[in-house]
Amino acid sequence: MKKGMIKATGPFERVVHWCVALSCLFLCITGMAMMYHSLNVVGSLVGGMENVKILHNYCGVFFGISLVLTILMWWREAGIFSFPEDLQWIMAAGGYLWHVDKVPEVGKYNPGQKMFFLAVALFGAVMVASGLIIWFPEGYAVGTLRLMYVFHALGFVVIFAFFFVHLYLVTIGAPGSAPAMFTGWVTRGWVKTQHPKWLKEMEKDGTLVVCGEKKCSGKKA
Amino acid sequence: MKQELIKLIDLSRCTACRGCQVACKQWNEMPASKTNNFGSYQNPPDLQWNTWTLIRFQEIEDRGGNVKWLFRKDGCMHCTDAACIKVCPTEALYHTEFGSVALKAHKCIGCKACIPACPFGVPKMNTATNRISKCDLCYTRLLANQPPACVLSCPTGAITFGDRDAMLAKAHKRATELGGDASVYGDKFVDGTHVLYVLTEKAEVYEHLPTDPKMPLSIIVWKDILKPAGLITAGAVVAGAFLHYITHGPKTPEEETTCEGGKES
Repeated sequence: MKKGMIKATGPFERVVHWCVALSCLFLCITGMAMMYHSLNVVGSLVGGMENVKILHNYCGVFFGISLVLTILMWWREAGIFSFPEDLQWIMAAGGYLWHVDKVPEVGKYNPGQKMFFLAVALFGAVMVASGLIIWFPEGYAVGTLRLMYVFHALGFVVIFAFFFVHLYLVTIGAPGSAPAMFTGWVTRGWVKTQHPKWLKEMEKDGTLVVCGEKKCSGKKA
Repeated sequence: MKQELIKLIDLSRCTACRGCQVACKQWNEMPASKTNNFGSYQNPPDLQWNTWTLIRFQEIEDRGGNVKWLFRKDGCMHCTDAACIKVCPTEALYHTEFGSVALKAHKCIGCKACIPACPFGVPKMNTATNRISKCDLCYTRLLANQPPACVLSCPTGAITFGDRDAMLAKAHKRATELGGDASVYGDKFVDGTHVLYVLTEKAEVYEHLPTDPKMPLSIIVWKDILKPAGLITAGAVVAGAFLHYITHGPKTPEEETTCEGGKES
């Protein structure tokens, strides 16, 4: 790792992130293969549509477990809005939509990221719950079952749309973000631009880890 | 569509001999299941994966205070606007050239979506094969220009089969003939079913017979709104992201340097 890079995530965070991300992607593909008849061809890759269903169901269990870990891991940092700075950031749309001279500074996660986290947590939970009921419908009323299919499709619409927002931002929309979830190290310039307040907080608390520097140099006793 | 065919069940002529029930099992080679007596001649108690048609027995009190026996041959109604077909993820359930609803069992993945979708509670799960199972209006017989097995077996002429328009006319004629509460059931909802009843009582008198069966609203929301919305919103996001990139531009870090010991200076 290059000297001067700043540590943004730990290995556990990255593993959990990719467990949720890849299982979610797999669920989207297999789910779409079942929702859109023209995508039934996906079934031929795994030996038939019944296998698509089976893989979708068990992948859903994996997603559910990963989602619980994600929520436990991130809800304190990304699940709670802090006012007034988050509101100010939202009013300025984080400087993403129109020109803002000085984007309001927010902590480790900006409100956009918090909204993404909450959407994934909420609709992910809806998907797991409705999916399990669809998988094991015995004993449920017809009306309940019919509603579960609506929830499952609604969750897909939301998560699938958010997926592309996420993909855009981590690739070309906010360059320099992706390494946070690959190597875990990001540039100081990126942190200063994206999360200036977080950088200040880490410097103040002495929790900033810089590659090539002695760890915990500024930590208070 | 080659020829739209309809099965007409005139309940005023049904004697509940259950010949249709047996003929159905025989033609479709379906085994019997261990049953239980629940205090009725009706047997088995409900439609099963291996019982595609069933005579329902019901006792009602007529206006004079006398007990009256009602019989109804239950089974798939073969809807035109069929909810089971609409929810089927693999097109295993489909409309035949006769307008009936049949199943390509090799395409069924056992997802059970059609079970709560059906307004008549018809599709049943064969747990041994993990496939759905229901009446296909004897599709193989229709291809051979033969009427369904149940029609052939009926000794009283309660079940007849034929061209759509002819059967509709016949049903209405018979209902008028019977008078009173008699009516035709199946011509008005879900764009018309391919099984018609001539009911002797009002529809609401019959057990397990919905008075206003329709495509469930949940399925309209799911298949006609959310299904296209999934692609439209995702497409809008991709288009919006591209527009954002070429108009507003990415949020690029002010300084790209990563070296120099990480000190701010």
